[in-house]
Amino acid sequence: MSQTVLICDDAIFMRTMVGDILQQAGFEIVGEAETGVQAVEKYRQLRPDLVTMDIVMPDMGGIDAVREITKFDPQAKVLMCSAMGQQALVVEAIQAGAKDFVVKPFQPSRVLEAVQRVLG
Amino acid sequence: MDTARYAELFLTESQDNLSAINHALLELERTPAAREPVGALFRAVHTVKGMSATMGYTVVADLSHELETVLDLVRRGERQVSATLMDTLFSAADALERAIELSVAGREDEVDAAETIAALRAAAVSPRDGSTAPAALAKPKTRKRGSGASVAAPAAITIQVTQVPDTPMPGVRAYLVLERVKKLGTVVHVAPSPETFEADTFDGCLTIGVDTGASDEEIGHAIRAAGYVADVAVTRAGAPEGGKRPAPPNGDGARLGGNVGRASELVPSRQHRHIRIDLHRLDTLMNLIGELVITRGRLQQLAMTINEPALTEAVTQTSRLVADLQDGIMTSRMVPVWQVFDRFPRVVRDAARALGKQVDFVVDGQEIELDRSLLDEIGDPIVHLLRNAIDHGLETPDERVRAGKSPTGRLTLVAARDRSAVVIRVTDDGKGIDRDRVLARAQEMGLVESTRTDLTDDEVMRLIGRPGFSTAAQVTDISGRGVGIDAVHTRVRALGGTVDMKSVKGEGTSVTVRLPVTLAIVRSLLARIGDETYAIPMTHVNETVQVERDTIRRVKGREVLVLRDDVLPVVHLRDVVRLSRRDGGGGQVVVLEVADRRAGLVVDELTGQQEIVIKPFDAVKDGLSVFSGATILGDGVPALILDVSSLF
Repeated sequence: MSQTVLICDDAIFMRTMVGDILQQAGFEIVGEAETGVQAVEKYRQLRPDLVTMDIVMPDMGGIDAVREITKFDPQAKVLMCSAMGQQALVVEAIQAGAKDFVVKPFQPSRVLEAVQRVLG
Repeated sequence: MDTARYAELFLTESQDNLSAINHALLELERTPAAREPVGALFRAVHTVKGMSATMGYTVVADLSHELETVLDLVRRGERQVSATLMDTLFSAADALERAIELSVAGREDEVDAAETIAALRAAAVSPRDGSTAPAALAKPKTRKRGSGASVAAPAAITIQVTQVPDTPMPGVRAYLVLERVKKLGTVVHVAPSPETFEADTFDGCLTIGVDTGASDEEIGHAIRAAGYVADVAVTRAGAPEGGKRPAPPNGDGARLGGNVGRASELVPSRQHRHIRIDLHRLDTLMNLIGELVITRGRLQQLAMTINEPALTEAVTQTSRLVADLQDGIMTSRMVPVWQVFDRFPRVVRDAARALGKQVDFVVDGQEIELDRSLLDEIGDPIVHLLRNAIDHGLETPDERVRAGKSPTGRLTLVAARDRSAVVIRVTDDGKGIDRDRVLARAQEMGLVESTRTDLTDDEVMRLIGRPGFSTAAQVTDISGRGVGIDAVHTRVRALGGTVDMKSVKGEGTSVTVRLPVTLAIVRSLLARIGDETYAIPMTHVNETVQVERDTIRRVKGREVLVLRDDVLPVVHLRDVVRLSRRDGGGGQVVVLEVADRRAGLVVDELTGQQEIVIKPFDAVKDGLSVFSGATILGDGVPALILDVSSLF
């Protein structure tokens, strides 16, 4: 059975792109979230094997969402999606419980490597 | 990566974000102390930055990065929102929009963002000490551990980690390595210190002293799992010569347990409630349904001739299905007007600012739906009307106060559904149109004889719609280039709509644009002149009457028809198409109504009603301004569609 992914990003563009990369690698995209609040809700509901998380989102940012998700499930595997220049935020996300990060612009190979590190 | 696939998606979503940026900027300008607009701005700009970097649109990414830097300072209260800053932000938003459009069009090299970037950088530089903000931005806020840990102390194990060259965010990656090591034991020292991980001087080499019971293998594995690790060297105290290199060959560590499935296991499980469709596809469908409607007309005629009950029934049923299909496709083309209205608050703000006027802009009826192609066409004319209202309608705050009004002018844009039409109305509470000035200008231009002073208000208003008419005392950037209201008239008429103006001196002006809900298919009355058939859209048909020749009289040299106590001007379709009039007999008169005005159109014969599909042609360009398009009738014969509003 393929592994399940929840994609959290406020941009459809980014969700589509990450979704395409992961789907082509055989993952099953079980849900998408546009806000941090949705991300937490959907995580509880879907219990995916992997979460990709944008840092800047409306409602609740990615970092707080990671904190909430990890509180709920310490084993949660969250991969942060970061833009250049967000070093401090990524560090904060890792402290909050994120397992790894990728830096935009995304290259499929780098995304998949990061996913393997997170799941490995 | 095949980014071309994503270009369309990128453009659409960037436009959404640009619109959000403009809204948030307007909001911020109104309430400079509010935090919410800054947050919204930051998110939108950030999204654009991420997307553009992925697309490889460097200029867009750079621009949004600089903009984001300034916004972050505002967000953290390190910059005050001033008028100058707002101007910089607004023009940056504009530059961003241009850069996006050009980049998507493959003309990124034409983007000139240097000036905007310089302005943003200047805004980011603190006015006091001249230090740039981005350096502060890069500093992590929370750094609980690490400080003090860099004091060298004898450790059982020293680990040297070398990162892969060009590792993205090497500092964060190093931090991840450190986190992994912490899980193995107690970190005694770290060099360089974690505070400097993100500095430019960090060269990707890291030395960590740790007390741990883990084996070399376990250490190597844990560190490599942090990613982008080229080499791990573990030295144990008491093993003076370099120690072993327990780490597995490059990449291995990261691959352990990699559970990436096969592509064949791909399960398409994404659920969409909305999909984005290329407008061209809908246009194609619309054209096809148009052809189908024409064929249906022909089929119905044939069935009537053959008069075979089974055939007639089948044809009737087909007709119904075609009608449903047509309805479905039309509905799928409808979009709410806010998709175009959305940019107007910004337009109004800029115009008001440029002209030194205060405007309270209210938009209503944003949810009203219109055919997509119509909506695209109507945007510019409305911008024109709004600018006109601000430039010529609304007074300056001083003038308003002197006239006993509030210094802030009120400008409203309302969309509403009215039967099969959509009405869009722009109203201002400005000085209104000066009737005498319009008349004087019209006489000067030779549009009316100077002796005529008995024009009704309506007639005067209509003069404004004449080509080239403008009373603006001086040409401004905002409007008054001589392509004023008449340009709006021309465009709206080409869309099968009408424009109506009402104005009360000193109280304001209101311009009403009436548009058909959809462009492509309209129910029409078919009229015959000689061998030719002409289509008259039913939107404008009030009624039809059979008249005797002597019912049409002459009053002051003009032909009129007296219809139930109402006197209507009369137009002969034969005159319009430049055929000689028939002798004797009356004829059919179609009573037309456009914007509360009525007129009678005399035709030879009426042959029926039909749904017609409008095939656009450049009638106005070719000088045949009385026709708005052409169609093919059920019997395969082409017919011209009359532009009813041109007859008034």
